[in-house]
Amino acid sequence: MKDNIVIIGGGIAGMEAAHQLLLLGYKPILVEKSDHLGGHVADWHKLFPDMSPAKDAVRDLEEKIKEANIFLETEVSFINRLKNGYNVMFTNGVNVICKAILLATGFNLFEASRKEEYGYGIYNQVMTNSDLERWFNTGDDKRINGKEIKKVGFVHCVGSRDVKAGNPQCSKVCCITAIKQAMEVKEFFPDAEVYCFYMDLRLFGKKYEDFYIKAQMESGVHFIRGRVSEVSENIEGKVIVKTEDTLSGKPAKVTLDLLVLMSGIVCNKQAVDTASLVQVKTDSDGFLKSKDNILNIIETDSKGVFLAGTATGPKTVPETVAEARAAALAIHNYLVTLK
Amino acid sequence: MIDRFASGFDPFVIPFLIGMVFVLGYCIVGAIRLVFQLDHADRKRFLVSLITPKTIWKNIKDIFLNCLIHVKLWKRNKLLGYMHSSIAFGWFMLIVLGHIECFVYMPHRVKLFYYPIFFNYFVAENEYTLRGAIFFFLMDFFLLMVLSGIVLAIIKRVRSRLFGMRRTTRPSLLDRIGLYSLWLIFPLRLLAESFTAHISGGSFLTIPMNMLFKAFLGDHMNMLPTWWAYSIALCVFMCVLPFTRYMHIPTEMLLIPFRNAGLTIKHARKGFAKAQVYSCPGCGVCIDACPMSVKKANIKDTTVYLNRNIRRGNEKRIEEISDKCLLCGKCTAVCQVGVDGPQMRIAQRSIRNYGLDQDYTGFDISAMKASVSAEPSPGRVLYFAGCMTALTPAISQAMESVFRKAGVDYAFMDKDGGLCCGRPVLMAGRFEQARELIRKNKEIIQASGASTLVLSCPICYKVFREHYKLEGIRVVHHTEYMLELVKAGKLVLEKGEGSMVYHDPCELGRGCGVYEQPRELLRQAGELVEAAQNREMSICCGGSLGSLTLGFDKREDITRNALNNLVSGDPATIVTACPLCKGTFARYADRPVEDIAETVNRHTK
Amino acid sequence: MDFGFSISPSSTINLDKVDFTLYDRLCEIEPDAKKCMACGSCSATCTAGPWTGMSVRKVILGIQRGKESEAEKMLKGCMLCGKCTMVCPRGINTRHLILSLCRIYGEGER
Repeated sequence: MKDNIVIIGGGIAGMEAAHQLLLLGYKPILVEKSDHLGGHVADWHKLFPDMSPAKDAVRDLEEKIKEANIFLETEVSFINRLKNGYNVMFTNGVNVICKAILLATGFNLFEASRKEEYGYGIYNQVMTNSDLERWFNTGDDKRINGKEIKKVGFVHCVGSRDVKAGNPQCSKVCCITAIKQAMEVKEFFPDAEVYCFYMDLRLFGKKYEDFYIKAQMESGVHFIRGRVSEVSENIEGKVIVKTEDTLSGKPAKVTLDLLVLMSGIVCNKQAVDTASLVQVKTDSDGFLKSKDNILNIIETDSKGVFLAGTATGPKTVPETVAEARAAALAIHNYLVTLK
Repeated sequence: MIDRFASGFDPFVIPFLIGMVFVLGYCIVGAIRLVFQLDHADRKRFLVSLITPKTIWKNIKDIFLNCLIHVKLWKRNKLLGYMHSSIAFGWFMLIVLGHIECFVYMPHRVKLFYYPIFFNYFVAENEYTLRGAIFFFLMDFFLLMVLSGIVLAIIKRVRSRLFGMRRTTRPSLLDRIGLYSLWLIFPLRLLAESFTAHISGGSFLTIPMNMLFKAFLGDHMNMLPTWWAYSIALCVFMCVLPFTRYMHIPTEMLLIPFRNAGLTIKHARKGFAKAQVYSCPGCGVCIDACPMSVKKANIKDTTVYLNRNIRRGNEKRIEEISDKCLLCGKCTAVCQVGVDGPQMRIAQRSIRNYGLDQDYTGFDISAMKASVSAEPSPGRVLYFAGCMTALTPAISQAMESVFRKAGVDYAFMDKDGGLCCGRPVLMAGRFEQARELIRKNKEIIQASGASTLVLSCPICYKVFREHYKLEGIRVVHHTEYMLELVKAGKLVLEKGEGSMVYHDPCELGRGCGVYEQPRELLRQAGELVEAAQNREMSICCGGSLGSLTLGFDKREDITRNALNNLVSGDPATIVTACPLCKGTFARYADRPVEDIAETVNRHTK
Repeated sequence: MDFGFSISPSSTINLDKVDFTLYDRLCEIEPDAKKCMACGSCSATCTAGPWTGMSVRKVILGIQRGKESEAEKMLKGCMLCGKCTMVCPRGINTRHLILSLCRIYGEGER
């Protein structure tokens, strides 16, 4: 089979779709703007609920897509519409005529510094969920190393469910990530008190509730129902968090050695530009617009353009992988009907 | 010059007399009522100002420059300025010259009210008069000047854009009657004087017209009907004037002395406030200026409509308009009569009935007093960050860093929270509550023993400057204070890369008149570029606490419009001096937004 | 027969008997009141909170649960500084909500 398929985005969605397309006998072209495959997952340490290393998952997929054409550090510069397909130009000078395009452009992590009241980039002891994963991976972060970590706080919903941050959507995965990270921190610092400041705990997935119970029973994480609205710093450089303990109905204040902000999932602005080249619009939530949100999440209104993964909204790793497989099959079926 | 009629009277002057007596009577009674509506202290102040040489001179100067020459309009648009001053000043000169003429030639007739107005009808030229041809020339000259203004006014009704006005108000029926009668007065006067020019004399305009009429009309009996028509047009204009926007002409002559006497709005509808309402000419320049009117929204919530609805007594609309306003003060900055939009609205808010009143008397401030109290020391500085800054901690952090670098002995009054400054309550029209907050904060500040109070929030700064009266304590905004530190050599600014634009916060710029200090600081820290509209013309960020009813979703367009204005010179960074502006701009800006304290801190060692 | 007391303790919220007039009137003026998800941001940031226990969240809840007098006490301490409006993740105009409530309190009796 000679039909070209271009997959934009080398995260787990793009990789899994490439893998499936290879199995179906195609030779997809995978473009990734960064210098490595795996996207955000590659930066993560362990994945819930099995706590398996994220690196293994990415390496596994990498093995499976060796046969594909992979362009790293490459972006799409322009796409022209042809009669039955598209002419895609890449920044590396390659020009491809393809029958189908898969947008697996993923998400951006909310820039925590935009919520100035939380003090990211202002106070020394404030980091994000991704900073913490980096520390898990590399063991290098001066906010933790050489510091006495006795009290740690996790702020849920940073840049999610927040019209002031321009993102009213729930990011879906931060609740479970916060619990996962809280438990991991507790493993590193068994004597530390760990607090999770949440608005609602949305633990919907397989074994998530087990995680919650484990965090309560084994790790002894304190769950405080209240959204943090102010963070300040004391003379010793510790951060003071102000919230309301809404369950007791009283304002609460706690001094912490480390504050972790659970940056949410927001739409990838660059992806919106790329998608507009093939007339794919954004939905009211800011993510790319599917044909509909029930039976045709993968399809778009543009012929031969498909979507997979977090380009259409926050998703977990298993959901993303399942969607990538479905997208590969949808592309295959589409190419068959073209003949 | 001789009398043509021994009686010195003709029935056609009666309409004019009716109009004149009516309008004069109305204005005099109205003025007396307004003065009596002032409270005792204000009335005394006003009357004293009327006999104080300094204010007398200022009143005359302001009335001449604003009511006759319209200097503010000239600055705005030359065509608009010429139109107004040609009509106002030309008419004024016609009246003055008419009286002088009468005084010179017919001194015994001066006591007749109408005589100078219809002078040309009642007199006949003789040889002696020719010496006064200069008068005839001047009268024709000013008549031509007024007529040119009228022509422009007619053009303006059709094409207001030529006069720099995008949006304007729709005149009411009475306004239109007033307008058309005003337009008619001067062409009719030209006709009337032209018909009589061979008897009473004339100059370059009326003599040729007289000859022209004679050539194809022949009949000099057209004379009397045109004088009648002229008198009737004057009568109609003067009789409808009190009920039209033209009431602004006499009212402004009262508003200026009120303002020069230093009065403030004490009652929402009476006295000074009423003078403001009736001084509004309804021109609508405030519509284009209003930050809320972006994308054609909220046009009917501008100051011109507030005044109109107060005149009409439409309470529902008055409330909506008063509550929506951001109180940025730009309407006042562009208003040629200087109607104080923000103060007018705060006054309307203050007369609401509340079922529940706030009460802060129970707040125990002893712990706060204890935490700041110290021996008085001349160098000690108290820093009050204000409520909003708790949400923009980069500002207070930068301020503390600046204090330390400059070696200043300072105390951070509200590091762990404090009382509100009182300005937001004041903006909501809750004066009693504001006084209580001011009293409590004053107690804390006075217990601190500091000699200088530094504020980084312009909202706080305005209320501290205007309402606190802290004896022995200097109140400065951080833009002013940091410049002082630089000038004293305690802080050394290093020029950095990248251009910056400075946004004038409403409360600091138009509110307190601080424009230069922040710019001077920024020029020393890097390249300063200016926004398309700046200083007095700066556009509100849209985050203002001034508006009570404008919801979050309604403010985005306002903010984006203000941002577009700021980035016109493509600066690398947007610098402001207000925590609220910073937070609001940062939400939608495509480049970094910072407070001037952060900029200064970044550029010092 | 009503003896003026019952076996159910007074601390129970009897939703059958709650009077929603005030809440409904508030929602007419500021419909966003319904958006509150009780996250507590407003209470945490409140300038008056440390002095009076003011909490917009609790006020909104209170008037839906027949606890008007508690709400009244909290409203009295509000300094209208507007911080709660700044932090509300649902974009509720809490400052106007408070002012509106203060205005309509006891509206029926006036």
